[in-house]
Amino acid sequence: MEIGLPFEPTAAGRWSGLRRRLLGPAVGLRVLSLLAALLVWQGLSLVVGARFIPGPGVTFAELWRLVVSGEVWGQFLITLERMGISFALAMAGGIAVGTLMGLYGRAEKLLDLWITVGLAIPGLCYVIIAFMWLGLNDRAAVLAIALSTFPAIAINVWQGTKAIDQGLVDMSRVFGASAWRRATRVVFPQVLPYVMAAARSGVGVVWKVTVVVELLGRSNGIGYQLNYNFQVFDMAGVFAWTLFFTLVMIVIEIAIMKPVEGWLFRWRPAVRG
Amino acid sequence: MAVPLAPGGAGLAVDTVLSVRRLGKTYRSRAGARPVPALDGVSFSVAGGEFVCLLGPSGCGKSTVLNILAGLDRAFTGEAGLGPGVRIGVVFQSPRLLPWLTVRQNLLFALETSAVPRAEWEVRADDWLQRVGLGPFAHVHPHELSGGMQHRAAVARAFAVDPDLLLMDEPFTGLDEFTARAMRRELLQLWRETRRSVLFVTHNCFEACYLADRILVMSAGPGRIRDEIVVDLPRPRDDESPELFERSVAVTRTVLAAASPRAV
Repeated sequence: MEIGLPFEPTAAGRWSGLRRRLLGPAVGLRVLSLLAALLVWQGLSLVVGARFIPGPGVTFAELWRLVVSGEVWGQFLITLERMGISFALAMAGGIAVGTLMGLYGRAEKLLDLWITVGLAIPGLCYVIIAFMWLGLNDRAAVLAIALSTFPAIAINVWQGTKAIDQGLVDMSRVFGASAWRRATRVVFPQVLPYVMAAARSGVGVVWKVTVVVELLGRSNGIGYQLNYNFQVFDMAGVFAWTLFFTLVMIVIEIAIMKPVEGWLFRWRPAVRG
Repeated sequence: MAVPLAPGGAGLAVDTVLSVRRLGKTYRSRAGARPVPALDGVSFSVAGGEFVCLLGPSGCGKSTVLNILAGLDRAFTGEAGLGPGVRIGVVFQSPRLLPWLTVRQNLLFALETSAVPRAEWEVRADDWLQRVGLGPFAHVHPHELSGGMQHRAAVARAFAVDPDLLLMDEPFTGLDEFTARAMRRELLQLWRETRRSVLFVTHNCFEACYLADRILVMSAGPGRIRDEIVVDLPRPRDDESPELFERSVAVTRTVLAAASPRAV
């Protein structure tokens, strides 16, 4: 045979693979980069003044206070709930519309302009319009977040549906697969990577718009807390809240998204770099 | 796949696995456009255990015939009847393996919707992987295999579902000549062991002469069968032999004569 023996992942191999994914091949460089950033941060703080740029020490102390006092969790859960509901709405709508556009040329021609328009409108405009129409309530908030996230998801799913390999569908038909089996076992796995990409870009948009929504029209959530700290010019607070959510997003990415994707798409050829 | 694709499947000789009569097909690209006849009055049959090649230049409709027989194209006239209880297996031009399944899982995917009883699925999958030399690669994903090995997996899948008739659509066209020769030799070996009927589409005259009991020469505009050549060379055939070479030159002339002058 012209190629080597099949790759049989051992337990140790799997663990080192996971570690490599999390930390990357050049762990030293990453740590170095992190340390350098902290140094620069501290230096800027000293030069400009802690009132404008609170140093890492002050910021982490404030973050610690927020976490220990429990203040952060209530606001975080409120923000997370708004994000979750809007994300679910945007995914449902985006998958439905994207699939329609991928499958039917007419739907594509009818809708592609409007998806592009939807993508071009800034999230802030959806937020303002929704609040003006529906009032400063959570219904408007969720609708605005979902609307501004929807186009990016629809585009991803649309591309994914267009990229379905008809040859594989024909193959399964010839070997006797029913329509249901073709949809679930042949079409769905092909679209799944695009749905995951849609979800990932969707989470990014949802988070950014949610904070704006809370800042403009809600009296709780992380966006509101940022706004409050802005009003009283508490820079350490602004830094601490920002840092908190950034850390949460990184943990979600490393602990949930990456492993789930790695497991779902383990069949794909590894990208060699 | 045991039912005839069109009325007319009944009344076949017991030994006939496939009978095609006056098969016609017209493409209408869009409303108002002039319809293009793709097939016209194509008639032939395949006997049990027979190896038949459909040979012709691209565009002569040979793949269209195969798509109709495979059930992928239902807009045709005439009759395309499989013998009673005849089951088919298909090998396409590209391997068409599901990339997220291992090679073995790909075979099982086809077996799960075949007439093979559940108890035999795993045994058959492993057996056929062994027979095409992919035993050690059962748990590998397709992208980790070479092109030739992917084609072997596709051939194993087609045989594994226990078909009476194998439909093969230029399966070795994308391979280099050395790999293709090895694949042809292995295919004949499997064919001799199993005695299944094969309908093999190709545009390669040498390949047709090496493989077939009988060659049906097709030409385009519209697709018709112009000639039938019985290849009476003894088996096993040597792909280096002068007799085979001479025969393939003669067949090439026949194909060219059938195609000229307007259709090429």
